[in-house]
Amino acid sequence: MMEHRVVSDNGLASSPEGCVIDIRLPWYRSLPLSVVQIDEVQIDGEVIDKDKVTFELEGERMPLSELRPKTGTVWYVLDSAFLHIDGIDVAKGSEHEVAVTVSFRPPYIAGLNRIVKTTKTLSAN
Amino acid sequence: MAANDSGLKLGTTLYSMTPAFHGREYTFEQLVRKVAAEGIGPGLEVVGFQSIKGFPTITDEYADWFKGLIAETGLTLSCLGINADLRIDPDKPMSDDESVEYHARQLEAAAKLGFPLVRYQYPAGPDVIGRLAPLAEKLGVKMGLEIHAPHHPNHPDVIAFREMYERVGSPMLGFIPDFGATARAVPPSFFDAQRANGVPEDLITLAQEFWVEEGEPYQRRDRYIAAARARGFQDRHIMSLVIIFGLFSRAAPESWAEIMHQVIHIHGKFFDFDENGDEIAVDYARVLPVFVEGGYDGFMSSEYEGHMWTDADGFDKIRRHHAMARRILEGVAA
Repeated sequence: MMEHRVVSDNGLASSPEGCVIDIRLPWYRSLPLSVVQIDEVQIDGEVIDKDKVTFELEGERMPLSELRPKTGTVWYVLDSAFLHIDGIDVAKGSEHEVAVTVSFRPPYIAGLNRIVKTTKTLSAN
Repeated sequence: MAANDSGLKLGTTLYSMTPAFHGREYTFEQLVRKVAAEGIGPGLEVVGFQSIKGFPTITDEYADWFKGLIAETGLTLSCLGINADLRIDPDKPMSDDESVEYHARQLEAAAKLGFPLVRYQYPAGPDVIGRLAPLAEKLGVKMGLEIHAPHHPNHPDVIAFREMYERVGSPMLGFIPDFGATARAVPPSFFDAQRANGVPEDLITLAQEFWVEEGEPYQRRDRYIAAARARGFQDRHIMSLVIIFGLFSRAAPESWAEIMHQVIHIHGKFFDFDENGDEIAVDYARVLPVFVEGGYDGFMSSEYEGHMWTDADGFDKIRRHHAMARRILEGVAA
């Protein structure tokens, strides 16, 4: 069951720019970033403007629109990626409802677009 | 470890433990050691893109470590799951040349890790697989097409591979039946999970009516969708049930007999057990004798897939599956 796995437990942290959400690929195997999309990020019910969000994998940060060309970058199934949210400040220890929707097209199944949304209430680190 | 006098040997695919692995409760090494300790080998199947970071690149160091681990546990590598990732660029599927190269790298990884065979997927197409036969022969790694629902041995997509096998005539090309293709029911835990998500009982009943009808699965799926919409059910509820038409099919278990001489591995797909320890969706008492009587010689990986909708303990499920399989196989042998 993958519905609860996009947003990691204990996966919210404050950062100098705003906050960071620890996310996972909700699938049994690794996939190239070119088939993955971050569809929506909500914090406390507010949909975050995609321009304020960047995606980080293995130390490399990119705008959400830059996942699509990354045919050679694989998101390993055990690795966290991080969504950096600019301008949304969360105080350490404060609780927030975080929702992230990820969709992906398994490259061996023509026509399937899997959409998974996880909502969790997290205390910021 | 043989459960019987037949050539059908038991094993496990680590795919069954996807929640424990994904949830970082067990590392790959810990899963392998637990399979050995629990006696749910001796066959061990691995999905390359799940268990191995950087797959299909396999360093010498990793291969040494991997082979050492397998030797230490006493397990036997049965199958490496490889993928036909033709749409890494969603707008531009791989050419046949690119696909041959993509599959070749995975075959080479299998050889380097010591696997005797790979599971490949039908989107690869007969032409690409036919072109890989010489490499498979050189590496000593067999290639098995997974026949997964909604396919079955006489589906046109599968017939195309059977005809290619006939033409190419390589001993390295075979089939891997997945028992979800010859199911008798939809697993009850699937519907339980949908009920928990608010899917109405009447809609579940309607979907089951179309699932048990005769005819091509995707046509039955489309008729179910139309009927459910006509009755005013919510689309998100309707769509949450459509995967039953792709995951579980009702081909006759006896249909495997036709391709038995080319079966090189089995995916013993399973989900739920009744109070007698029998699998509810797949009639193992009917399907296993087909393989014993057909003289099958190889492994059956216990492949639990209920993790798509529950986080039930995969190890517990596999212990039950092995107990059931042993009981049935002993009955066939007696």
